[in-house]
Amino acid sequence: MGTFIAIVLSAVLTNNFITAKTYGICPFLGVSKKTSSAAGMGIAVTVVMVLATLVTYPIYQYVMVPLKIEFLEIIFFIFIIASLVQMLEKIIQKVSPSLYGAMGIYLPLITTNCAVLGVTEMVIGDMSAILGGASMNIGWAVLYALFAGLGFTLVMIIMSGMREKLNYYKTPKALAGFPIAMVTACFICMAFTVFSYISL
Amino acid sequence: MTAKQFFKSNVFKCIIALLCVLLVSGVFLTLMNALMHVSDEERLDRAINKIYGKSVNKTAVAVADYNSNAIIEDAYHITDDGNYLIKSTGKGGFDNGTITCWVVVEVKGGAITGIGKVVVDSNKGQTQMAELKDSFFNKFSTGYYEGIYYTTNDGFVVSNSTKSSAAVCNAVNGALDFVLAQPGISGGAVDIYTEFDYIDNIETKLSSHVIDEQTGSVIFTVVSKGYGNPSNFTSEITVSTAGIITNFEIKVNGSTNDGYGATVESNVQKFVGKDLAGIKALLNVGEEYPVYPNENFGDMVSGATESTYTAYTAALFAVANYNKVLTAETPGEGEENE
Amino acid sequence: MNKFKKITLDGLIFQNPTFMLVLGTCPTLGLISSAFSSMGMGLTVLVILTLSNVIISLLRKVIPDAVRIPCYIVIIATLVTFARMFLDKFVPELYESLGGFLALIVVNCIILGRAEAFANKHTVVESAVDGIANGLGFTLALTVMGIICEFLGKGSLFGYQIMNFSIDMLAKPAGAFLVYGICIAVFVYVIDCFERARRVKANKLARENLLKEAV
Repeated sequence: MGTFIAIVLSAVLTNNFITAKTYGICPFLGVSKKTSSAAGMGIAVTVVMVLATLVTYPIYQYVMVPLKIEFLEIIFFIFIIASLVQMLEKIIQKVSPSLYGAMGIYLPLITTNCAVLGVTEMVIGDMSAILGGASMNIGWAVLYALFAGLGFTLVMIIMSGMREKLNYYKTPKALAGFPIAMVTACFICMAFTVFSYISL
Repeated sequence: MTAKQFFKSNVFKCIIALLCVLLVSGVFLTLMNALMHVSDEERLDRAINKIYGKSVNKTAVAVADYNSNAIIEDAYHITDDGNYLIKSTGKGGFDNGTITCWVVVEVKGGAITGIGKVVVDSNKGQTQMAELKDSFFNKFSTGYYEGIYYTTNDGFVVSNSTKSSAAVCNAVNGALDFVLAQPGISGGAVDIYTEFDYIDNIETKLSSHVIDEQTGSVIFTVVSKGYGNPSNFTSEITVSTAGIITNFEIKVNGSTNDGYGATVESNVQKFVGKDLAGIKALLNVGEEYPVYPNENFGDMVSGATESTYTAYTAALFAVANYNKVLTAETPGEGEENE
Repeated sequence: MNKFKKITLDGLIFQNPTFMLVLGTCPTLGLISSAFSSMGMGLTVLVILTLSNVIISLLRKVIPDAVRIPCYIVIIATLVTFARMFLDKFVPELYESLGGFLALIVVNCIILGRAEAFANKHTVVESAVDGIANGLGFTLALTVMGIICEFLGKGSLFGYQIMNFSIDMLAKPAGAFLVYGICIAVFVYVIDCFERARRVKANKLARENLLKEAV
């Protein structure tokens, strides 16, 4: 139970992918103009992160480590993620066209999203700081991926809300576009710094 | 589609191109991996060089444990300057966890002259490692004198992280003990309790006593070895001139959790007011050393027998030996580890 | 020759991947708290980008169009894996300071972007120049921001302590966002000013010519 709480708090608040690790910034800045699209992107990323971890973690632990080909992890992982995204896109298109209409456009962008590759690389690395005494297994890995994705979604939604409000104000010409988005992100990060005082 | 058509089709070309690229990358990377693989030995060298800030020559020393609180993982004799580099795991951290440190023990002319550096390598189950800052680790270097054993009572402690501090102290003490056991090394703590009774479960080198000048009673600071699950207990025990325990205070509680800790805290109050016979009667101790009770102590609260036994051995040690302290003629003994 | 000048200027200034196109933001924001690691990241990307551009340009007629993206990804992933091994073996300090971002170069949009937008349509030499120019643009941008963030956030430069005063926040992701945003604004503003001045000058010249013709 302690490990569970530690993973949730760490993934969502203290080590949030955007505000603490700065993974997945491209969609964070690119798709956060509207809350609906930000939420769609966030959920799509979460789904892909969970599925990717579910596939890559066993492959790494039970295939690559015994065969001593850990050094090929980047090629394996990026290929798995790319094919996973493709498959997911096709499946969603077939099964639920309405969901595809809402989520489909974000899926191709996710292949080159650091957050997905980042989480798969993280769970095979040293996670002892978060896990405490418990040892890493597929359950914790997927759980971490799930909550990291939810943390990502949370910050995406906060950001989109702020950017929607920003539309009502006049920004200086030089700051329009990315710069003002980054200053906004700066404030979100500062707010999230508070959570770093949670000691797990 | 016939086989012939397939071999001429674009699909076939695509597959071949992709496979070729994959194959070439795989072969290239396998070659490069064989060429540039960083061996464990090299990583160790790097870790050592990082601690020293320069590359050094070293020879490995066979490891053995000389202290119940620490496990020596790796030991090296740095041939450049004669120092020892010890990888030592200190027990008794938070939640029964451990901390593994690299400890540089400085040696000059066959005597330990100080602790060069303490660097944390890894830990198990410690949650407050961030509290242990450089200033804490530097204390080990500046606070060294011959015969010292580092304890949290002597200020080698960071508040909010006492258990982790204790584990680091244990690791450093373990390294010191290990180096002392090496041939031709001197400068360790003097063991003044070797002739005392009931020392089997006592860390004699870590324990100390003072005589209260007003009442004449002896105040022991006893470190007893954790029996079973709990780690070491440090207890302050006052024994009056009449041989009765007048105060029993646990300074470092080695219980595995706060619940056991609280049980022991209340149990040890039963030791107060008893003399040697009274303490012995609790476990029917005769001349032999008290054995761990399979059933509970007489009127103690059950549920923390191992911890209670650990504290009990400290009480027995104190109450059985106060006389030796008082009758000892040698001056200065009482001031050891003042 | 003019062609190469244009490629270089585009990569360095007018299409600067960091400031103008805002690509490869994750490593930028994650590493600019230290000038050493941000410059190291820049140089690593420079080498990988140049190599990938050259290789992809060499293979542009061999690889069928349908599988070009997977092929590019494999090539880039191979180069990144190679870079990781190389740094681990020969520059362990940099390897440690880059951390997870080293593996994430593989999803850095700059590299795939240049492969897709430039290298598969141009000759090897042009692609190499483009790779170097873009890589330099990225490196310079990161180094400048790294120096700003490290100096103000930690009071040091490339690890050497210079002053005791520091604003901690600037060495954290929050500060990275702020400095990055302000740098983009300043960069875009300066470029805009130059462009405007040039346009005014061109307009003036055109008007004078018109007047001359009229006279």
